[in-house]
Amino acid sequence: MKKVVLATFAVAASLMASVAQAQDKFAIQLQWVTQAQFAGYYVAKDKGFYEAAGLDVTVKSGGPDIAPPQILAGGGADIMVNWMPSALSAREKGLPVVNVAQPFKSSGMMLTCRRDSGIASTSDLAGKTVGVWFFGNEFPFLSWMSQLGLSTDGGDSGVTVLQQGFNVDPIFNGQADCVSTMTYNEYWQVIDGGLSADDLIVFKYEDQGVATLEDGLYVLEDNLNDADFVDRLTRFVAASMKGWKYAEANVEEAVEIILDNDDSGTATYEDQFRMMGEIAKLTAGSNGALDPADYERTVATLLAGGDTVISGAPEGAWTHAITDAALK
Amino acid sequence: MLAWLSRSVLPVATIVAAIIVIWYAAAIPMNSMRTYMMAPDDAEISFSELVSDTWSQKKPQLPLPHQIVREVKKQATFSWIWKEKRRGYKRSLIYHTWVTLSSTLLGFGLGLVLGVSLSLAIVYSRVMDLSVMPWVITSQTIPIIAIAPMIIVIMAPMGLTGLMPKGVISMYLSYFPIVIGMTKGLRSSDPILEDQMKTWSATAFQTFLLLRLPSALPYLFPAMKISLAAALVGAVVAELPSGARAGLGARLLVFSYRSETIPMWANLVSAAILAGLLVVSFGMLERALNRRLGFRTAGEVSS
Amino acid sequence: MMIAIFALVLWGALWAFNVKLAGWLSDRYARIAVPIVFGLTLVVMVELLVIGLNVSFVILPRPSEMVVRLFTSYEMLWEDFVQTILKGALTGYVVGCSTALLVAFLASWSDFLRRGLLPLGNFVAALPVVGLAPIMVMWFGFGWESKAAIVVSMCFFPMLVNSVQGLAATNAIERDLFKTYAATPLQQLGLLRLPAAMPFILNGLKVCTPLALIGAIVAEFFGSPFLGMGFRIKTSVGTLSLDLVWAEIIVAAIAGTGFFGLLLIIERSLTFWHPSQRR
Repeated sequence: MKKVVLATFAVAASLMASVAQAQDKFAIQLQWVTQAQFAGYYVAKDKGFYEAAGLDVTVKSGGPDIAPPQILAGGGADIMVNWMPSALSAREKGLPVVNVAQPFKSSGMMLTCRRDSGIASTSDLAGKTVGVWFFGNEFPFLSWMSQLGLSTDGGDSGVTVLQQGFNVDPIFNGQADCVSTMTYNEYWQVIDGGLSADDLIVFKYEDQGVATLEDGLYVLEDNLNDADFVDRLTRFVAASMKGWKYAEANVEEAVEIILDNDDSGTATYEDQFRMMGEIAKLTAGSNGALDPADYERTVATLLAGGDTVISGAPEGAWTHAITDAALK
Repeated sequence: MLAWLSRSVLPVATIVAAIIVIWYAAAIPMNSMRTYMMAPDDAEISFSELVSDTWSQKKPQLPLPHQIVREVKKQATFSWIWKEKRRGYKRSLIYHTWVTLSSTLLGFGLGLVLGVSLSLAIVYSRVMDLSVMPWVITSQTIPIIAIAPMIIVIMAPMGLTGLMPKGVISMYLSYFPIVIGMTKGLRSSDPILEDQMKTWSATAFQTFLLLRLPSALPYLFPAMKISLAAALVGAVVAELPSGARAGLGARLLVFSYRSETIPMWANLVSAAILAGLLVVSFGMLERALNRRLGFRTAGEVSS
Repeated sequence: MMIAIFALVLWGALWAFNVKLAGWLSDRYARIAVPIVFGLTLVVMVELLVIGLNVSFVILPRPSEMVVRLFTSYEMLWEDFVQTILKGALTGYVVGCSTALLVAFLASWSDFLRRGLLPLGNFVAALPVVGLAPIMVMWFGFGWESKAAIVVSMCFFPMLVNSVQGLAATNAIERDLFKTYAATPLQQLGLLRLPAAMPFILNGLKVCTPLALIGAIVAEFFGSPFLGMGFRIKTSVGTLSLDLVWAEIIVAAIAGTGFFGLLLIIERSLTFWHPSQRR
């Protein structure tokens, strides 16, 4: 009897060991702190979608001084979440990254201005002070301004640009007339801060025709020649999209998962719930595959902004190979 | 006792009281902008209304001491565990203070090892003294915040993530005072005593162990105190870019990003309390060790 | 791999050369030549290792690339230098250190004030004041003023503690001597207390130099106008222009080391009488 028990244990142990071995390691680098913007990946991990796909995934949160392309190049992650302007710029700089999936269909970026600063339309922006995020996020803005014919180096005929910190204080302190906001995040900080929607006028990049693709998934080009890597990647993308669709359908559970994964212990249920709702609007309409038309529009927007980001249309910056295999 | 009170406690208490009075007074003009912004355009705001509003805002420019104390009390408990179950501990300031403390101590330890070994090399080798010393000083003029993200990026592929890069960044600031203090200390042994060791035909190692090291210790301890404070600065700075996970620096950043000024100050105050505890406990250790070794601490000499 | 091995061999050769150099030259020249040779050795080592180990430019650019960038972008670097070091750090440094000195003078006349300030100053000097950077940006705006403000708050207390200690560094015999000469308080300050305090004051100035640099650059991470060293470092990491990042770091190091060297020269000429200056 004892022997049988022992044998069972041995078999069970070896089975568990083989299961553990079958789990391929995979690491994803996010581009900001843990929040609902990345719900799909956290949900896929905590709901076991990655595990079911035979993957042992590490989700690495980012921060204001983390450049995901740098982490990717350094081997600190296998895949990164990045905005397309930043990724294309990295590609042109000599770090060949390729878009393998695009969970975000629409852009959430907008410029939020105070009405009492006398701004009613884009033509009123001349002579105003505008807060912009840098770190690669300034490209769509610069492109937009150059299309409006406004200079960005100060002066009355152009806009005065501030490097906006992490928060929207400049619009409250009178330091800026407009601040950059995301539909799912900073805009609500402005509202929470005490300005009502009536006090504000917002210019959505989508409406201005200068929207660039946001949160996409990028890998190093060389890795795509590695069949083993492609296999893991395909499973990762499929499981991640499953995570995104689950998060869209089960907002409350997704928010709980985000809160569980927030190591800083600062996220609140209300904020993340609201963010998840806004994020779902941006992921809606994407099954994960990049729409080539969106890509073309992004490139055209960036090229229209001069050669600050990219000097020519990139070649081979995206592929459908992974999503075709993952989503079939 | 009374003399001690009036000589030491009274002056400090007076100045602290003055600071608090200035603090409350300054909060009125500093926070008033939001009061006026929130009020309807034609509203008349009396002075008493202004005071009560500026002293009780949710996101003030300058939070007041009572708001900060209340927030620290709220955050620095483990009662969150009952409220939010397994993730509750992450809401506690005590947990995050511990996270920062652990990288501070690691950085301090690494800095101590690096600093002492560098100063030994400097004292015993003229070439090392000439070549390394100017670069040690230069190293401190390189802004740590600029290279901190790079340290993290470079260490990540080596499998070193989490605590280790933070310790290295903190070491970068903490080794410097040790090198300076220890080098000075190792050179401070009395020449007469060195001659005495020679006449006893002591080996270089014996001279080091019995003469130079003991005479260096009074210099090493104050240097360690400065180094400990520097290690804490390093740990906080390291948490800013490290992917904003746990720790006082990471929370400072996230709260600043959400313009939550009161929790921001609560975190700053915890960092201050941590610094105070570190320095005081080290001072006690120093005094005990010195007494055991028969030295007098700097403070006792002067008084 | 060959290049990496070659780098190590070269390292050994240059180190041996340095040992010889330290023996040949008189102390005066060795003090300049030896560290320079050592620095060059390090740079060449890194250059060869980066090439030999095929390190990506995104992780660590070659030192030669950094130097090239230093010369090709010198205009931008100069503007950043003016904004961050001259306007931000230096203003804050001067204001912070001189107010601290002023308060220390006041405290030197009042024993009560000294007893109150010294423990508090010691405590605050040990705090991670750099955490105030985001708050200063919130209060003083995006320009260089907020950078100067954080530098003031970082420099004030270390400087205060040093100056207060320095001004108390005279002993009773010296003070009695001045009294028997019927010296006015001002004469006592100028001729006795201030000279005796000089080593401490200069030490405070030295401690504050790296603090000023760190403070000004850190504050720029939390918001800045379109230029500045911290701004450039932060945004260039985002656009993977790592050579520019390092060029800025080199500028900061040169500025800091140069200023520190200046203080050492002043220290030598002002406090030649102090035991620590003996050779």
